[in-house]
Amino acid sequence: MENELKQLIIDTLDLEDIGVADIDSHAPLFNDGLGLDSIDALELGLAIRKKYNVKIDAEKEDVVKIFASVATLADYIQAARG
Amino acid sequence: MTAEFVVRNWNAWAPGISSREDWLKFQVFAEQQKAAIPAAVPKTLQRRLSPLARAVFNAADGCVDNALPIVFSSAHGEVNKSLEMLKSMQKGEEVSPTAFSLSVHNAISGLFSMAYDYHREITVIAPGQDGIAPAFIEALGILQEGRAEQVLIVFYDEPLSDFYPSLPFALNAPAVCALALKISLTGSGLPLQLNRTSAHRDDGEHALQIFSFIEFLVADEQSLVLGNHRHSWEWFKK
Repeated sequence: MENELKQLIIDTLDLEDIGVADIDSHAPLFNDGLGLDSIDALELGLAIRKKYNVKIDAEKEDVVKIFASVATLADYIQAARG
Repeated sequence: MTAEFVVRNWNAWAPGISSREDWLKFQVFAEQQKAAIPAAVPKTLQRRLSPLARAVFNAADGCVDNALPIVFSSAHGEVNKSLEMLKSMQKGEEVSPTAFSLSVHNAISGLFSMAYDYHREITVIAPGQDGIAPAFIEALGILQEGRAEQVLIVFYDEPLSDFYPSLPFALNAPAVCALALKISLTGSGLPLQLNRTSAHRDDGEHALQIFSFIEFLVADEQSLVLGNHRHSWEWFKK
Protein backbone atom coordinates (compact mmCIF):
# COMPACT_ATOMS: atom_id res chain seq x y z
CA MET A 1 0.00 0.00 0.00
CA GLU A 2 2.72 2.47 0.92
CA ASN A 3 4.68 1.89 -2.29
CA GLU A 4 1.50 2.14 -4.36
CA LEU A 5 0.76 5.45 -2.67
CA LYS A 6 4.29 6.70 -3.31
CA GLN A 7 3.91 5.93 -7.00
CA LEU A 8 0.55 7.74 -7.01
CA ILE A 9 2.20 10.79 -5.43
CA ILE A 10 5.01 10.78 -7.98
CA ASP A 11 2.66 10.39 -10.97
CA THR A 12 0.01 12.83 -9.75
CA LEU A 13 2.41 15.59 -8.79
CA ASP A 14 4.88 15.24 -11.68
CA LEU A 15 7.83 14.55 -9.38
CA GLU A 16 10.00 13.61 -12.33
CA ASP A 17 13.33 13.09 -10.62
CA ILE A 18 12.02 11.13 -7.64
CA GLY A 19 11.55 7.35 -7.38
CA VAL A 20 9.53 5.26 -4.94
CA ALA A 21 12.75 4.41 -3.07
CA ASP A 22 13.48 8.12 -2.52
CA ILE A 23 10.36 8.71 -0.46
CA ASP A 24 10.62 7.84 3.22
CA SER A 25 7.26 6.53 4.46
CA HIS A 26 7.66 8.41 7.72
CA ALA A 27 9.15 11.68 6.45
CA PRO A 28 6.91 14.76 6.27
CA LEU A 29 5.21 15.13 2.87
CA PHE A 30 4.77 18.88 3.04
CA ASN A 31 7.15 21.79 3.48
CA ASP A 32 10.35 20.23 4.84
CA GLY A 33 10.06 16.71 3.46
CA LEU A 34 9.18 16.45 -0.22
CA GLY A 35 8.48 20.17 -0.31
CA LEU A 36 4.87 19.80 -1.41
CA ASP A 37 2.38 22.65 -0.98
CA SER A 38 -1.35 23.20 -0.50
CA ILE A 39 -2.14 22.82 -4.21
CA ASP A 40 -0.38 19.44 -4.12
CA ALA A 41 -2.55 18.45 -1.14
CA LEU A 42 -5.72 19.22 -3.12
CA GLU A 43 -4.39 17.36 -6.15
CA LEU A 44 -3.46 14.36 -4.02
CA GLY A 45 -6.87 14.39 -2.34
CA LEU A 46 -8.51 14.23 -5.77
CA ALA A 47 -6.23 11.38 -6.90
CA ILE A 48 -6.97 9.39 -3.74
CA ARG A 49 -10.71 9.90 -4.22
CA LYS A 50 -10.42 8.63 -7.80
CA LYS A 51 -8.19 5.63 -7.04
CA TYR A 52 -9.44 4.46 -3.66
CA ASN A 53 -12.89 6.04 -3.55
CA VAL A 54 -11.92 7.60 -0.23
CA LYS A 55 -12.95 11.18 0.37
CA ILE A 56 -10.91 13.28 2.75
CA ASP A 57 -13.14 16.07 4.02
CA ALA A 58 -11.03 19.06 4.99
CA GLU A 59 -13.81 20.37 7.25
CA LYS A 60 -14.37 17.19 9.23
CA GLU A 61 -10.99 15.49 9.28
CA ASP A 62 -7.66 16.46 10.73
CA VAL A 63 -5.98 16.79 7.34
CA VAL A 64 -2.65 17.86 8.81
CA LYS A 65 -2.38 14.48 10.59
CA ILE A 66 -3.69 12.47 7.63
CA PHE A 67 -1.27 14.08 5.16
CA ALA A 68 1.67 14.06 7.59
CA SER A 69 3.50 11.22 5.84
CA VAL A 70 2.97 8.35 3.41
CA ALA A 71 2.51 6.03 6.42
CA THR A 72 -0.26 8.14 8.01
CA LEU A 73 -1.98 8.57 4.67
CA ALA A 74 -1.88 4.81 3.98
CA ASP A 75 -3.31 4.09 7.45
CA TYR A 76 -6.14 6.53 6.89
CA ILE A 77 -7.05 5.12 3.46
CA GLN A 78 -6.98 1.55 4.74
CA ALA A 79 -9.16 2.43 7.72
CA ALA A 80 -11.62 4.37 5.55
CA ARG A 81 -12.01 1.50 3.11
CA GLY A 82 -12.71 -0.81 6.06
CA MET B 1 -0.29 61.27 -26.72
CA THR B 2 3.49 61.23 -26.94
CA ALA B 3 5.84 59.62 -24.46
CA GLU B 4 9.57 59.20 -24.44
CA PHE B 5 11.51 56.44 -22.78
CA VAL B 6 14.67 54.36 -23.05
CA VAL B 7 14.93 50.62 -23.63
CA ARG B 8 17.71 49.73 -21.21
CA ASN B 9 17.92 46.06 -21.96
CA TRP B 10 15.84 43.35 -23.59
CA ASN B 11 15.79 39.62 -24.01
CA ALA B 12 13.40 37.36 -25.91
CA TRP B 13 12.72 33.70 -26.47
CA ALA B 14 11.07 31.75 -29.31
CA PRO B 15 11.85 28.25 -30.60
CA GLY B 16 14.83 28.10 -32.99
CA ILE B 17 16.21 31.53 -32.09
CA SER B 18 19.80 31.59 -30.91
CA SER B 19 20.96 35.11 -31.78
CA ARG B 20 19.38 38.54 -32.20
CA GLU B 21 19.89 38.40 -35.98
CA ASP B 22 17.79 35.21 -36.07
CA TRP B 23 14.69 37.29 -35.34
CA LEU B 24 14.94 38.91 -38.78
CA LYS B 25 14.58 35.56 -40.49
CA PHE B 26 12.23 33.92 -38.03
CA GLN B 27 10.25 30.99 -39.27
CA VAL B 28 8.32 28.36 -37.43
CA PHE B 29 10.22 25.15 -37.05
CA ALA B 30 8.42 21.87 -36.83
CA GLU B 31 10.17 20.72 -33.69
CA GLN B 32 8.69 21.76 -30.39
CA GLN B 33 11.74 23.20 -28.70
CA LYS B 34 11.17 24.18 -25.07
CA ALA B 35 12.88 27.07 -23.34
CA ALA B 36 15.46 26.14 -20.72
CA ILE B 37 14.42 26.73 -17.13
CA PRO B 38 16.72 29.30 -15.46
CA ALA B 39 18.88 28.00 -12.61
CA ALA B 40 17.17 30.42 -10.20
CA VAL B 41 13.92 28.44 -10.27
CA PRO B 42 13.59 26.05 -7.30
CA LYS B 43 13.12 22.37 -8.12
CA THR B 44 9.65 22.17 -6.56
CA LEU B 45 8.39 24.93 -8.89
CA GLN B 46 10.01 23.64 -12.07
CA ARG B 47 7.34 20.95 -12.51
CA ARG B 48 4.66 23.65 -12.62
CA LEU B 49 6.16 25.49 -15.60
CA SER B 50 4.24 25.11 -18.87
CA PRO B 51 6.09 25.64 -22.16
CA LEU B 52 4.72 29.22 -22.15
CA ALA B 53 5.90 29.82 -18.57
CA ARG B 54 9.33 28.45 -19.50
CA ALA B 55 9.55 30.95 -22.38
CA VAL B 56 8.57 33.80 -20.03
CA PHE B 57 11.08 32.78 -17.36
CA ASN B 58 13.81 32.32 -19.94
CA ALA B 59 13.25 35.76 -21.47
CA ALA B 60 12.87 37.58 -18.15
CA ASP B 61 15.72 35.88 -16.29
CA GLY B 62 18.39 38.07 -17.90
CA CYS B 63 16.52 41.32 -17.11
CA VAL B 64 15.16 40.57 -13.65
CA ASP B 65 16.16 42.71 -10.74
CA ASN B 66 14.37 42.80 -7.42
CA ALA B 67 14.15 46.58 -7.42
CA LEU B 68 11.76 47.03 -10.34
CA PRO B 69 8.03 46.59 -10.87
CA ILE B 70 6.94 44.19 -13.61
CA VAL B 71 4.11 44.55 -16.12
CA PHE B 72 3.18 41.26 -17.77
CA SER B 73 1.12 41.39 -20.95
CA SER B 74 -0.56 38.50 -22.75
CA ALA B 75 -3.66 38.29 -24.92
CA HIS B 76 -4.41 34.63 -24.36
CA GLY B 77 -2.33 33.64 -21.34
CA GLU B 78 -2.85 29.98 -20.49
CA VAL B 79 -6.25 29.74 -22.21
CA ASN B 80 -5.25 26.39 -23.70
CA LYS B 81 -5.11 25.03 -20.15
CA SER B 82 -8.65 26.31 -19.52
CA LEU B 83 -9.81 24.56 -22.67
CA GLU B 84 -8.31 21.27 -21.45
CA MET B 85 -10.19 21.66 -18.17
CA LEU B 86 -13.47 22.37 -19.97
CA LYS B 87 -12.93 19.24 -22.05
CA SER B 88 -12.36 17.13 -18.95
CA MET B 89 -15.49 18.60 -17.32
CA GLN B 90 -17.43 17.70 -20.44
CA LYS B 91 -16.27 14.11 -19.96
CA GLY B 92 -17.58 14.22 -16.40
CA GLU B 93 -14.13 14.23 -14.83
CA GLU B 94 -13.16 16.32 -11.85
CA VAL B 95 -10.95 19.30 -12.57
CA SER B 96 -7.34 19.16 -11.41
CA PRO B 97 -6.71 21.84 -8.73
CA THR B 98 -3.17 22.28 -10.07
CA ALA B 99 -4.42 22.79 -13.64
CA PHE B 100 -6.96 25.32 -12.39
CA SER B 101 -4.41 27.25 -10.35
CA LEU B 102 -2.09 27.43 -13.36
CA SER B 103 -4.79 28.45 -15.85
CA VAL B 104 -5.67 31.90 -14.53
CA HIS B 105 -4.29 34.98 -16.25
CA ASN B 106 -1.85 35.83 -13.46
CA ALA B 107 -0.62 32.24 -12.99
CA ILE B 108 2.74 32.78 -14.69
CA SER B 109 3.38 36.03 -12.83
CA GLY B 110 2.51 34.25 -9.58
CA LEU B 111 4.96 31.45 -10.29
CA PHE B 112 7.52 34.07 -11.23
CA SER B 113 7.14 35.93 -7.94
CA MET B 114 7.53 32.66 -6.02
CA ALA B 115 10.54 31.46 -8.02
CA TYR B 116 12.41 34.75 -7.71
CA ASP B 117 11.13 35.64 -4.23
CA TYR B 118 9.82 38.84 -5.81
CA HIS B 119 8.22 41.47 -3.61
CA ARG B 120 7.77 44.43 -5.96
CA GLU B 121 4.44 45.24 -7.59
CA ILE B 122 3.39 43.03 -10.46
CA THR B 123 0.63 43.86 -12.94
CA VAL B 124 -0.78 41.45 -15.49
CA ILE B 125 -2.55 42.93 -18.52
CA ALA B 126 -4.96 41.14 -20.83
CA PRO B 127 -5.02 43.69 -23.65
CA GLY B 128 -7.76 42.07 -25.71
CA GLN B 129 -7.58 43.46 -29.22
CA ASP B 130 -5.38 46.37 -28.24
CA GLY B 131 -2.02 44.72 -28.79
CA ILE B 132 1.20 45.58 -26.99
CA ALA B 133 0.56 49.32 -26.46
CA PRO B 134 -1.44 49.01 -23.19
CA ALA B 135 1.54 47.42 -21.41
CA PHE B 136 3.74 50.34 -22.47
CA ILE B 137 1.12 52.78 -21.20
CA GLU B 138 0.92 50.96 -17.87
CA ALA B 139 4.70 50.85 -17.48
CA LEU B 140 5.08 54.52 -18.48
CA GLY B 141 2.42 55.41 -15.90
CA ILE B 142 4.47 53.73 -13.17
CA LEU B 143 7.59 55.61 -14.32
CA GLN B 144 5.77 58.96 -14.60
CA GLU B 145 4.39 58.61 -11.09
CA GLY B 146 7.94 58.15 -9.86
CA ARG B 147 7.17 54.78 -8.26
CA ALA B 148 10.26 53.26 -9.85
CA GLU B 149 13.19 54.27 -12.02
CA GLN B 150 12.87 51.23 -14.25
CA VAL B 151 10.04 48.89 -15.15
CA LEU B 152 10.27 45.45 -16.68
CA ILE B 153 7.60 44.65 -19.30
CA VAL B 154 7.16 41.00 -20.23
CA PHE B 155 5.06 40.19 -23.32
CA TYR B 156 4.11 36.60 -24.03
CA ASP B 157 1.69 34.45 -26.02
CA GLU B 158 1.52 31.02 -27.56
CA PRO B 159 -0.45 29.52 -30.47
CA LEU B 160 -4.12 28.89 -29.68
CA SER B 161 -5.61 25.43 -29.81
CA ASP B 162 -7.29 24.58 -33.14
CA PHE B 163 -10.54 24.48 -31.16
CA TYR B 164 -10.71 28.27 -31.41
CA PRO B 165 -11.53 29.48 -34.92
CA SER B 166 -9.18 32.45 -34.99
CA LEU B 167 -9.72 33.50 -38.61
CA PRO B 168 -10.53 36.09 -39.92
CA PHE B 169 -8.85 37.76 -36.93
CA ALA B 170 -5.07 38.01 -36.96
CA LEU B 171 -4.63 36.99 -33.36
CA ASN B 172 -2.83 33.67 -33.37
CA ALA B 173 0.87 33.43 -32.53
CA PRO B 174 3.03 31.53 -35.02
CA ALA B 175 5.02 30.10 -32.10
CA VAL B 176 5.54 30.45 -28.37
CA CYS B 177 7.22 33.79 -27.79
CA ALA B 178 8.21 35.94 -24.81
CA LEU B 179 9.88 39.36 -24.78
CA ALA B 180 11.27 41.02 -21.65
CA LEU B 181 11.93 44.72 -21.99
CA LYS B 182 13.45 46.90 -19.29
CA ILE B 183 12.53 50.56 -19.72
CA SER B 184 13.20 53.85 -17.94
CA LEU B 185 12.53 57.54 -18.65
CA THR B 186 16.22 58.44 -18.87
CA GLY B 187 19.58 56.69 -18.99
CA SER B 188 21.61 54.78 -21.52
CA GLY B 189 20.10 52.44 -24.05
CA LEU B 190 17.81 52.73 -27.05
CA PRO B 191 15.75 55.99 -26.82
CA LEU B 192 12.21 55.55 -28.16
CA GLN B 193 9.21 57.78 -28.62
CA LEU B 194 5.68 56.37 -28.45
CA ASN B 195 3.01 58.32 -30.35
CA ARG B 196 -0.65 57.72 -30.88
CA THR B 197 -1.45 58.07 -34.58
CA SER B 198 -4.64 58.43 -36.58
CA ALA B 199 -3.78 55.66 -39.04
CA HIS B 200 -6.47 53.03 -39.59
CA ARG B 201 -4.71 49.75 -40.14
CA ASP B 202 -4.59 46.17 -38.99
CA ASP B 203 -1.23 44.73 -37.97
CA GLY B 204 -2.52 41.74 -36.08
CA GLU B 205 -3.15 41.44 -32.38
CA HIS B 206 -0.86 41.03 -29.38
CA ALA B 207 0.59 37.61 -30.25
CA LEU B 208 1.77 38.89 -33.64
CA GLN B 209 2.80 42.34 -32.44
CA ILE B 210 5.39 40.82 -30.07
CA PHE B 211 7.26 39.47 -33.11
CA SER B 212 6.92 42.79 -34.94
CA PHE B 213 8.32 44.68 -31.99
CA ILE B 214 11.31 42.34 -31.59
CA GLU B 215 12.06 42.73 -35.30
CA PHE B 216 11.87 46.49 -34.87
CA LEU B 217 14.38 46.31 -32.00
CA VAL B 218 16.81 44.27 -34.09
CA ALA B 219 16.32 45.87 -37.52
CA ASP B 220 17.47 49.22 -38.86
CA GLU B 221 13.93 50.58 -39.30
CA GLN B 222 13.39 53.98 -37.74
CA SER B 223 9.77 53.47 -36.80
CA LEU B 224 7.14 50.83 -36.21
CA VAL B 225 3.40 51.42 -36.53
CA LEU B 226 0.97 48.91 -35.08
CA GLY B 227 -2.77 49.33 -35.38
CA ASN B 228 -5.93 47.36 -34.84
CA HIS B 229 -8.54 49.30 -36.87
CA ARG B 230 -9.44 51.52 -33.91
CA HIS B 231 -6.14 52.83 -32.59
CA SER B 232 -2.65 52.93 -33.98
CA TRP B 233 0.61 53.49 -32.17
CA GLU B 234 4.00 54.44 -33.49
CA TRP B 235 7.33 53.59 -31.86
CA PHE B 236 10.03 55.89 -33.15
CA LYS B 237 13.81 55.50 -32.67
CA LYS B 238 15.18 58.92 -31.78
